[in-house]
Amino acid sequence: MTERGPEQTADESALYVFAVCNAPDPAVFVRLPGVAVETQLRPLRFGGLTAIVQTVRAADFTDEAWQTRMSDRDELERYARAHHDVVSAAAASCPTVPLPLATLYHGEERARRALLDETERFRAALERTAGHCEWGVKVYAPESPPPDQGHLPSREEAPAARSRPAPGAGLAYLERKRGVQAQRERRHEDALRVAETVDAAFQCIAASGRRLRLHAPEPAGQGRVQVLNATYLVAEHQAAELDALTRTLRDATGARIEVSGPWVPYSFVGEV
Amino acid sequence: MQREVVPWDNPEPLTGPIGVPLVDLLDRLLATGVVISGDLVIAIADVPLVRLSLHALLSSVNERVPAPWADGGPL
Repeated sequence: MTERGPEQTADESALYVFAVCNAPDPAVFVRLPGVAVETQLRPLRFGGLTAIVQTVRAADFTDEAWQTRMSDRDELERYARAHHDVVSAAAASCPTVPLPLATLYHGEERARRALLDETERFRAALERTAGHCEWGVKVYAPESPPPDQGHLPSREEAPAARSRPAPGAGLAYLERKRGVQAQRERRHEDALRVAETVDAAFQCIAASGRRLRLHAPEPAGQGRVQVLNATYLVAEHQAAELDALTRTLRDATGARIEVSGPWVPYSFVGEV
Repeated sequence: MQREVVPWDNPEPLTGPIGVPLVDLLDRLLATGVVISGDLVIAIADVPLVRLSLHALLSSVNERVPAPWADGGPL
């Protein structure tokens, strides 16, 4: 797949492919910068479909360049948003299949050939997502009081208490420990159950659903624990039901439920 | 279309809400889409956020995009 020959020079160009569409309106791309400042976004016709592409400097888009970019939040964000802007603009004008960030070819001919090979998959994806949008649903465990550890001897206290502990103190300590642990497990199970409930409810009105990677607990302060990060493909005429469903689920579960969308159906154009 | 539950304010559908949190965007941009073999970048879908400090990512998402329900939410 990677063909970085030694002959590659600094000014060699590559073709960045953003999305594949039915029949985009070229006007919607005019003001968008894409991922390079020197060149314009342009359509690339292939097999009855149109890809939105941009010529870029190959040296800026190597694997190594991306590895560096991945570790720089601001850089990554700039590219992610630039990509998303183009995809969103395309989708606003016609049915669109987004490509993942950083799909690049050594030139127009190679890109056209690769895209042509996948024409059937693009058509299938366009068909599957026609008239649908993607909606993200994130569920956070209900806020719970901190575990009751008031009676546990702290690290500082324990060694300081030189006198022999009262008989049974060790057992009581262990039982309290066990209680805290059981409470934690119960909360965890409850949270998972809430996640399943919410997922099942959204699946009912969705054409399709996917679980995404859970986000790590938020740092310091809020400490919200995410228990579901899912995304659903919902028919446009059913999108209005999402609001009521979300409210009902919030009331029923007490969980914090965040809905985002409508998204271009990023998550539903691949092999689902 | 319903807007109330959307944690950002986008005037029209599908035009790329400005406030869309980066972490949600990356969930969709990195490992999804019709993956076709490219010539140059081969591994980006496999390294989402591994080299990126997720904590840094999340905290800056928070300061830029405050939680939709700052008052504790309509729970």
